[in-house]
Amino acid sequence: MSEEVRLPLHRRPAFWAGGIFAAFAVISALRITDAIDATTGFILMVIAMLQIIPLTRASLAKQRSTGHLSPAVIRYTRRFLLATFGYMLGLGIAVTIANRTELSQAESFLIALLPVIPVMGMIWTMARYVIEEEDEFLRHRAIMASLIGLGAVLTLGTFWGFLETFEVVPHVWAWWVLPVWAMGMGLGQCWMALADRRASDFADDGA
Amino acid sequence: MKNRLKVLRAERNWSQQALAEQLGVSRQSVNAIETGRYDPSLPLAFQIAEVFGLAIEEIFLRDKD
Repeated sequence: MSEEVRLPLHRRPAFWAGGIFAAFAVISALRITDAIDATTGFILMVIAMLQIIPLTRASLAKQRSTGHLSPAVIRYTRRFLLATFGYMLGLGIAVTIANRTELSQAESFLIALLPVIPVMGMIWTMARYVIEEEDEFLRHRAIMASLIGLGAVLTLGTFWGFLETFEVVPHVWAWWVLPVWAMGMGLGQCWMALADRRASDFADDGA
Repeated sequence: MKNRLKVLRAERNWSQQALAEQLGVSRQSVNAIETGRYDPSLPLAFQIAEVFGLAIEEIFLRDKD
């Protein structure tokens, strides 16, 4: 039923997604152990984030080959990519200014908005996708994935909050909610795709 | 909800992709409906019925049927 073509490694989305996660893990480890300073860490993060371009290309190519690609997906991808780079830029400017300048509370408030505006762009992009997607099944999948991401944020956030209250774990900054939500959403999409494939294989076996 | 989509498609020698193109949806949608993992909305069910030239109840069956 579903004819799988073995793609070369550099054309597989999982390869680039794994690359981003691995790079982030290494950079985080280097930062935690103080092997690199904040500026170097940020530059390395930006370089690691550039892998999002081949990741996007590989994802679109894969979706096109499996009949998953709709005009709404293409628009979503372009907008999200733009917002991601806006976020990196806003974050870089905000961190640089905050590290080098003594800021008043009002100035800190304004600086904190720099990465938040692109984040609002990301959320708007997701909302637009749900509105613009004409394929009801893909829309259903996107909504389910967002709910899985939301469930992950609420569960992990509440659990971590109580662990913090009981002084078991260190404090975690609240801006982690968006990455955790996005990771939950990604895992949700993977889980649903896997369940679809299993159901399809089961139907083939039963036929 | 059960359906006869796979049988009807096979009778016409249509691939999932071919049916998806006629319906204007993704192949994944056809696959999910066919395997019973997703129940289509009423407008899509009517569209499927139209493509096969059948009534909805000749394609989709309630679980107790």
